[in-house]
Amino acid sequence: MSTIEVKKITKKYGEFLAVKDASLSVKAGEVVCLLGPSGCGKTTTLRMIAGLERATEGDVIIAGKRMNDLPPEKRDIAMVFQFYALYPALNVGQNIAMPLHFEKLSKDESDKRVNKVAKILHLTEVLDRMPGQVSEGEKQRIAVARAIVRDPNCFLFDEPLSRLDVELRHSMRGQIKEVLSNLSKATVIVTHDQLEALTMADRIAIMRDGMIEQVGTPHEVFAKPANVFVASFIGTPQMNLMEADLKSFNKGMASVSLAGSAVEMAADPAVSTLKPSKVMIGIRPRAFTAESSAGKSTIRAQAELIEPMGAETLVHARTKLGGDIRVVVPRTQRVKIGEVLHLKPDPKQTHFFGENGRAVRA
Amino acid sequence: MATSTTIWEKLGFRKASGVTEAGWGQTLLAGLVSLIYFLPVLLIIITSFKVQNEAMSVPPKFFPTSFFGLIPDVYVFSPTLENFTSVFSRAFVTGGAVESTGFDRFFFNSMFIAGSSVLLALVIGTLAAYGFSRYPLKGNDTYLFIILTTRMLPAIVVIIPIILMFRIAGLSGSYPGIILLYTAFNLPFTIWMMKSFFDELSLDVEDAARIDGSSELRVFFKICLPQVVAGLAATFVFGLILTWNEFLFALLLTGIDTRTVPVAMNQAVAGGGIGVLWGLLAAIETLFLIPVFLVTFFLQNHLLRGVTFGTVKR
Amino acid sequence: MTMTATQQQTPGFLNVAPDNWKLAIAVGLAVSILAASLFPASASFWVVGAMVAMVAASIVVNAFRKRYYGGLLVSPAIAVLFVMNIFPLLWSLGLSFFAYQSSQQSMRFIGLANYSRLLTDDLKAPELWGNLTNTAMFTVLTVSAQMIVGFLLAVMFAKQFPLRRYLLILVLTPMMLSVVAVGVFFSYYYDPTFGLISQSIKAWNGEQFILFSNKTGAVAGIVFADAWMWSPFVMLLVLAGLVSVPKYLYEAASIDRVGSWRRFWTITFPYIRGLLMLALLFRTIEAFKMADLIILLTKGGNDTMTISYHVIRIANEQNKTSEGAALSYLLLFVVIVLTNLYLYIANRRSREN
Repeated sequence: MSTIEVKKITKKYGEFLAVKDASLSVKAGEVVCLLGPSGCGKTTTLRMIAGLERATEGDVIIAGKRMNDLPPEKRDIAMVFQFYALYPALNVGQNIAMPLHFEKLSKDESDKRVNKVAKILHLTEVLDRMPGQVSEGEKQRIAVARAIVRDPNCFLFDEPLSRLDVELRHSMRGQIKEVLSNLSKATVIVTHDQLEALTMADRIAIMRDGMIEQVGTPHEVFAKPANVFVASFIGTPQMNLMEADLKSFNKGMASVSLAGSAVEMAADPAVSTLKPSKVMIGIRPRAFTAESSAGKSTIRAQAELIEPMGAETLVHARTKLGGDIRVVVPRTQRVKIGEVLHLKPDPKQTHFFGENGRAVRA
Repeated sequence: MATSTTIWEKLGFRKASGVTEAGWGQTLLAGLVSLIYFLPVLLIIITSFKVQNEAMSVPPKFFPTSFFGLIPDVYVFSPTLENFTSVFSRAFVTGGAVESTGFDRFFFNSMFIAGSSVLLALVIGTLAAYGFSRYPLKGNDTYLFIILTTRMLPAIVVIIPIILMFRIAGLSGSYPGIILLYTAFNLPFTIWMMKSFFDELSLDVEDAARIDGSSELRVFFKICLPQVVAGLAATFVFGLILTWNEFLFALLLTGIDTRTVPVAMNQAVAGGGIGVLWGLLAAIETLFLIPVFLVTFFLQNHLLRGVTFGTVKR
Repeated sequence: MTMTATQQQTPGFLNVAPDNWKLAIAVGLAVSILAASLFPASASFWVVGAMVAMVAASIVVNAFRKRYYGGLLVSPAIAVLFVMNIFPLLWSLGLSFFAYQSSQQSMRFIGLANYSRLLTDDLKAPELWGNLTNTAMFTVLTVSAQMIVGFLLAVMFAKQFPLRRYLLILVLTPMMLSVVAVGVFFSYYYDPTFGLISQSIKAWNGEQFILFSNKTGAVAGIVFADAWMWSPFVMLLVLAGLVSVPKYLYEAASIDRVGSWRRFWTITFPYIRGLLMLALLFRTIEAFKMADLIILLTKGGNDTMTISYHVIRIANEQNKTSEGAALSYLLLFVVIVLTNLYLYIANRRSREN
């Protein structure tokens, strides 16, 4: 079975802790994205799975076999590198055929396999060219072709799309996803681009400072962020995170003092476990509705900066306490600078975080 | 869970990862090979501390001490500094008065001649390389090829006319003559190496500086030169090593006042009828090795980077 | 650019102006030829020198006025190379057509007689051929030994390990020794009585070992010393190539399960090919010029005479200057053929890629 299991792996470079107790399991046919800001240890984690780095502690289990001490050659994995790592002295066809030499195939058989993947990735035309003579997008496809030409235990991608321009990235995301869905292998993709992760992954593991903060489906990490970091990292425009005073919690209704306004809203029953005190409340910019007048559950803010985004408009507004609040309104709703807005948060999309930064949910 | 380690890994061989990282195991291997490779040099250094009959002893004496009786006495010599003092005086002639051998002068000559010619070649060659790189002439490659070919000439082809020319011009046995000759000797390599460095620099920065109103001189000194320091260092070391030990030209073209150490060493080999004075010769070579060894050591990083930068075309 | 500007920048041929380099060359040539035929050599030398300086100055002024910086930057180097390499080379070519011995003052034009004598004389031609084959043998042996040893050393040092810096300098040291010391001390190590090699063999079979007793031994001794001294040079070049291979290519190769043999030929070798060729060229040319080690070790005994040593002997020890010049021109011819062969191969390769 093509599975990957990572159990509490840690990587230390001298005193520096690059990855700490990361655990992750990837089922056959599942695509998991390692997502996080640069320097968070995601690439190190991937390289430990590949065997290019050795885990200081913990286990790497691929296809049910513990592989900590095995070099990459013995792990039977395929990997696409960030800079593609095409062999400069070989032409495109020879590059793609490189992993096949191990299997000692006949020339015909190997040509057949190369032509097959070249067709899938639209590379038939360039098979005879040298890597220096093809476009950036083609290089990327060659790297993918080299990975899928054989039948490995699993696929690893290190920032596969980071060197492509926006348009190519968009089309490559679709192509890679399609190719992967036909292969039913465990796949790990490292990326710093959340859009990439949200569109390509079955599950996303969000990393920060060498630790995995949350693992979940794209929907879960977006709708139910486990903590303040995940909440602020996922979603654009960024979620509004505001300090608030929890005054009381009664029959599913929490009354808080938020951004200078007293607001009453429905909340998760688990919020009752929070001591009435300082909490962090997170509301996505799209979770507000602008009411015509102030009400029991509205926040008052004054529009300061308006950024049209096409179908929607992003409004930066100033709250009574002077904080900044981001609100996305439909294009049809014209907001003028200086206008006072009465914003009503959607209780279902309002997240409460305790003092330790963790989300409070039942 | 602790990862298991094999005995090899404990010795420093890493297996699972690190393509170019090796540990103490590699040090062990490389140390052994290096030491064997260095052995002839080490023997020269050891010999420089021996008196003549110990240098020629049977069996050979390798060790300066017996290490508290561990080494049999037949292999142990008594180290002496006599050879090093003899380098600068002629104390070894039995019965004769202590007399200067002129080796202090020869060391100075070697340093002065090698140093100034390599630096001169570096200055002239860097200018030329910059010219070739930035203002390509028609038939640039032909000029460069001719320049390179001059380096490939057997020295002997030009030596006869140079001897004649120096004799006529009164340059035989003078500093300017040999310095100029060595400069020419170092130029092709310098031009060729520095040109490949200048070729690799991005022109954008230079153009930006020109747009900002910098003069050509300023562009060259402030923008280009700082980027090719590794190349300058590597070229300097290569030139120095070659010039420092040059023997043939020096033998034929230096006079008594401008004689360099290799030539003087060659004459010291005869030793005035009493056979080769091994200890003395070893002492001269040991002393002679030190400056170029130190320069190479301190510029070592540049040396490797320089060769890579200058010659590997992407 | 307007016509007037052009006229201003290119003075008429007969205008006496500091940047009229055409006139300067014409005058310089005329004066030089006059001086050479009228005055003795020592005086005409200086006259010719002054004329060359004048021509150079006019070219420089011309270049400066036209803002021809490329020429200005290159000119000092060209001047030095001209005076110290090209001019003597032409002189030497001229000498080779004369009968001239530096011990005598007479000089007689004999055309190609020097060359024909070297190539056809019953005594000299076989000697020349013998020396040429010796040179070829030394070249092949020393260069291949240097390439192999240098390559292996480079592979050893291509990894990063503790103390690498210090061990590397130990291996580089032989290159820094003077050839005199290497020659003398290898004869010390090879000495039949107290030499280390003889002594260790004696300890084993009780007999003294005389390395230079036959040609094989003499050649082995010379090749060993030369290869020892110059392998570090090859190592340095190969090492530079090896460390320039991006690490990620090796990582990709290990992911792709490429065997070490294929990995070397498809990844490593393309990066060091150019430098290997360069090392090969440099060392071949140097080996072709080899003389000093042989002078110091065997003095040409046991049939170890090389062509370079032969030239030195003829020209310097036997004072047959012009014959030496002719011989060195033959040698130069061989070097040029070798160099062009190299360039041809190198160019064909680069065209292939």
